[in-house]
Amino acid sequence: MSDILQQYLEGKIDFEGQKLVEQISRNILIVATAVSFVAGFATQSLQVLFGVFAAFVVTLSLAVIPPWPAYRRHPVKWLSIKETKA
Amino acid sequence: MIWKGLGLITNTESPIVVVLSGSMEPAFYRGDLLFLTNPSNQRYQTGDITVYKVPGADIPIVHRVLETHDLVSDKRGVVAAAPLAQQQLLLTKGDNNHIDDIELYQGLEWLERKHIVGKVRGFLPYVGYVTIAMNDFPQLKYALLGGLGLLALIQRE
Amino acid sequence: MHSIYSRINNVSAMLSTCLMVLLGAISLSSFLFTSTPPPGTLAVTNVKVFPGNARRYANKYQDFAFVNFNLTADLKPLFNWNTKQLFIYVSAEYENRQGTKNEVVIFDRIVQNKEDAYIDIAGRNKYVFRDVSASFEDSTPAHYSLKYNVMPYVGILTYGEAARTVDPVPFPESQDLS
Repeated sequence: MSDILQQYLEGKIDFEGQKLVEQISRNILIVATAVSFVAGFATQSLQVLFGVFAAFVVTLSLAVIPPWPAYRRHPVKWLSIKETKA
Repeated sequence: MIWKGLGLITNTESPIVVVLSGSMEPAFYRGDLLFLTNPSNQRYQTGDITVYKVPGADIPIVHRVLETHDLVSDKRGVVAAAPLAQQQLLLTKGDNNHIDDIELYQGLEWLERKHIVGKVRGFLPYVGYVTIAMNDFPQLKYALLGGLGLLALIQRE
Repeated sequence: MHSIYSRINNVSAMLSTCLMVLLGAISLSSFLFTSTPPPGTLAVTNVKVFPGNARRYANKYQDFAFVNFNLTADLKPLFNWNTKQLFIYVSAEYENRQGTKNEVVIFDRIVQNKEDAYIDIAGRNKYVFRDVSASFEDSTPAHYSLKYNVMPYVGILTYGEAARTVDPVPFPESQDLS
């Protein structure tokens, strides 16, 4: 029981998932910066700028931080246990 | 090292300060960050926002210059190396205060150039609030230290 | 990136960099809006000088000047998305009988919206106007000017002058109140 709880709290994802998460975060943040600046500048409002940026950040966090099953598609294949010579 | 280097370039002992009081509202609120320079060969003008320290008081004050008086040197035979920059008398006032700062000067009638730490050139909102919160709520400081300690004990890696 | 904690850590680090870039871009954008306001008008209608006592030392003699002025200025061009407020101030520049050059702010105002940025004031000095040598006798006539300080949400503070008296205004003789 505590094992499963620990697993959920740690939120481990596999290596392919980690690569994906890194890529997604970086790209979304770059897009967020550019889009929010342009949107703010066009409307001449700092509130719009930070509002748009905050929206991007919230969506990104929801997409990337919880350990979604999509990030667990390629679990690490451990080698089978070999008998060691006594 | 970078901090000292920055202090050298800007000619002031603390080139970045956090606003501590509300006497410059609505321009500066507590927790805002200010960037200062202290050009040695330029005189201060009315309207400049200065950070100054009165001898005998510990805390720097951020207020605007209300009056400047550039005294003529009456020493004979002495040619001033720099323009009257060093012999200015200043009076300051916070935007949010009704009267000038005379009460804060601890007996002085005017501020002199040597009391000024620097002039505000740039501004960044909110960023300094962490230092204020730590000072005003020491429980926060202890809570943070306690939390970090606990984390160090529980974490597996 | 394999635990929730390290993902939060990573994302917030990237986030901070992006925020710094945004704040830098906002402060740089202020330089795109370099429109100076059209010249305004500042006229001093009346100057009176009265003797009195200094604030701190009740026995010390001090001259006090009272200035009435008319001021118009259009400071709307100074407002852009990064303008938090304008601080405008009227200051007098003159030289007193000891040769000291003086600059004294006699009036100021904070302008927080573009709508309030059209200035049309008939006012008098808000602050006590006195000379560092306690008397205005033999002072040069004073030039009065309207200066402004643009305070941004993020970035560099800028200053400028919006109006100036055309001819310098002399200080009259100290009038006896009796």
